[in-house]
Amino acid sequence: MGVMLKWGAGGAAVAVLAAATAGAAYAQAAPGAPAAKAPDNAAGAVPPSGSINARQAPRKPKTLFDDPDPTLALTPGFGGANAPLRPRPGAPPNPDPKNFEGVWWLRGYEYLLGPSPGVPAPLKPQYIELLKKRIRAKNAGKPETDTSTACFPHGMPRLMESPYPIEIVQTPGRVTFLHEVAHEVRRIYLDQKHPANLPETFLGHSVGHWEGDTLVVDTVGINDKSFIDDEGEAHSNKEHLTERYRKIDGGRQIELVMTVDDPVTLEHPYSYTRYYEWRPDVRPSEYICEENNRNAPVNGVTVAK
Amino acid sequence: MQKTLSLLAAGAALAALPALAHAQSHPDFTGAWQIAAYSAALKPVDGGAVPLKPEAKKVYDQHLAAAAKGDRTWDETTICLPEGLPRLQTIKEPFEIMQKSNAMYFVAQNRLPWRAYFNEKLPDDPDPMYLGYHVAKWEGDKLVIDSSGFRDVSMLDDSGIPHSEKLRLTATYEMGADNKTMSVTWRIEDPDTFTKPWTAKASFKRMPANFQFPEEVCAAKLQSTAPKR
Repeated sequence: MGVMLKWGAGGAAVAVLAAATAGAAYAQAAPGAPAAKAPDNAAGAVPPSGSINARQAPRKPKTLFDDPDPTLALTPGFGGANAPLRPRPGAPPNPDPKNFEGVWWLRGYEYLLGPSPGVPAPLKPQYIELLKKRIRAKNAGKPETDTSTACFPHGMPRLMESPYPIEIVQTPGRVTFLHEVAHEVRRIYLDQKHPANLPETFLGHSVGHWEGDTLVVDTVGINDKSFIDDEGEAHSNKEHLTERYRKIDGGRQIELVMTVDDPVTLEHPYSYTRYYEWRPDVRPSEYICEENNRNAPVNGVTVAK
Repeated sequence: MQKTLSLLAAGAALAALPALAHAQSHPDFTGAWQIAAYSAALKPVDGGAVPLKPEAKKVYDQHLAAAAKGDRTWDETTICLPEGLPRLQTIKEPFEIMQKSNAMYFVAQNRLPWRAYFNEKLPDDPDPMYLGYHVAKWEGDKLVIDSSGFRDVSMLDDSGIPHSEKLRLTATYEMGADNKTMSVTWRIEDPDTFTKPWTAKASFKRMPANFQFPEEVCAAKLQSTAPKR
């Protein structure tokens, strides 16, 4: 039962700080953007961004399962795949559909990662209860500190739901995701198998291959120390992720269809879609998780500037 | 007018050709690299002492004396703050280079990244960062990376050579003939710390082709913050 956690003091303050940072980062992306223009969408299967803006997003539950109990209130998110698109000026995206290089930024950061915003993952009953316990703890101002607030990696799929830029670099045999958040790195090894006797890690081991213009990534070997999401949905070390990435919208967005499977905590696999916006105007900056601890003395002076 | 434009365009295209051919001839530093012979202290290539100013020497001597007694509280990395440069390359753990036409990407095993952009200038008044700001250029087959804008919290090496925010590094990367080794020469300039610029050098060996970086999590070393499970 590796998912039952005990946490040290101080998590609440750090969690609040992290939430405030997340909000600020999101707000940064918002101001002064020109109105959305419906771009070409050769793929067709995905609504073009214009219609995403216009589309009536499904009503999002404010509590878990719309429960009248206010202690089950969900943290408001930013709409997931329903989030408005904010096109930005800058260099045009690379016309090659298999060239994902550049900086991308998630649209619509959500705290609960289920099949749609406000809807939880198909967790088994005991993990629904665990989620309720974590949501109640958070709403009581005493959240269970998750890995990222203790400066451990976010875990997966949560890392892909961070409201920070991701720079993608492609080199022979590899696609590399350089996340600004906590300078986390995902290395996706192309056309390889997962090694035998894989050590369990926070981000797992990722292999990928191309199916046409879609990059398909398979990730296993994820330890059970992280949560699926910010709200505290549990996963085990049997978590298995399948990600399908493709450029849409004339290359201005990358669509991710994330499929989460976990025979321990989930009744069945589930999927959700996210969009990452092309952001040639952004350069990832330095992110020092540990400087939440701003009073640590170095050479007799505090680190904080 | 049109003729002028097309001439200009043709001129630009012609000018680009040798550059293109030249670009292809550059050595490819892409891959994982590890220092060939670890040493805690950077040493000047001229064989002399590090030209520390008296105040900086006092700080360095304190670091050495404390470390001799097992006290590394002066070392920011013991509380998981980033190594600066060139320390992040001269520690025992390997780092990765990804070479692209517009930038050189570096990623340490502990996941700290830094990027050096081609065809750019260093910022005049940067907001200092642990890993600074970097621009890259080719000088023949040598890759030259200029860096500035460092925070003064970090050390130049594991032994604890301090530096100020005026630190400026010029790193020259040279590929070995076998393509499996490279050397890096750092010109180290910091008028607040050193009496004169000095130079250090290190050799690196290429990691095997099947090497995959392990996930290194500094926080796991800190008992105070490690999640209890």
